[in-house]
Amino acid sequence: MRIPATVATMAAALMLWGVPTTAHHGWAGNGDEEFELTGVVEQAVSLAGPHATMKIKAQGQVWDITLAPPARTERAGLTANVIPVGATVTVHGHRNRDAKRYEVKTERVTWNNKTFNVYPDRS
Amino acid sequence: MAWLQGSILGHAMRESGVWTYGVVNLAHILGVASLFGSIVVLDLRLLGLWRTVPLPSIVGPTVPVATFGFCTAVLSGICLLATNATEYIGNPFLLVKFPAIAVGMVNVLVASSLPSWKAIGRRELLPGEHRQLAVTGGISFAAWLTAVSAGRMIGYW
Repeated sequence: MRIPATVATMAAALMLWGVPTTAHHGWAGNGDEEFELTGVVEQAVSLAGPHATMKIKAQGQVWDITLAPPARTERAGLTANVIPVGATVTVHGHRNRDAKRYEVKTERVTWNNKTFNVYPDRS
Repeated sequence: MAWLQGSILGHAMRESGVWTYGVVNLAHILGVASLFGSIVVLDLRLLGLWRTVPLPSIVGPTVPVATFGFCTAVLSGICLLATNATEYIGNPFLLVKFPAIAVGMVNVLVASSLPSWKAIGRRELLPGEHRQLAVTGGISFAAWLTAVSAGRMIGYW
């Protein structure tokens, strides 16, 4: 029994070694390239789970802006009534890989010269 | 779905603080863990594992824990669904999960009404009765494994 246990420990250690960190689930469905979009707030920030969301209108489409989990989005200073509906915002993140889905997993939102960085560790 | 999302429950889930969803999600996981963790032990025993352990000794603890887990999972699950119910329309994992739960529930109703189930702890079971209970154990295992697996995948669609 000793040898399998040692092998298993080594295998586990190997698997944990040098793996780049990926935050939570969901990013896999979004493109690797950085994506930036400027539009008008259609629906204000909602801090309902599992992720905070907002909707913006850009390029003739309503885009689903997926933010961080609610508590994290709040810590970044982005709460329900901070950005008014109708305001022009720029979001930066990763677009959904499915070209038919207008959704951006968002790392930061810029409005009125203020940047809300909901995923500061994702650049 | 729209009705559920617009219900008082949906509003409460969305508007009662940033930790609400996380805490309800925790309750859901604890419910699912209790249900699945206990039902698997019972199912495998019915399928013929751990024959040296008397069946009543397994039925006694697993059934109430599974029942508690099921109720917790259902109540918290309705809350989670109500938060953003319309988002889940067309999610194929939901269409696998709910029928799997239905199969699991029907199986419980059928199994618990069987004379062989009622005989547990009262008399020795006949070989045919063991086989009958093994079938319900197999259906149960497959149904709950499917429900839990599909449920976990909902968020990744």
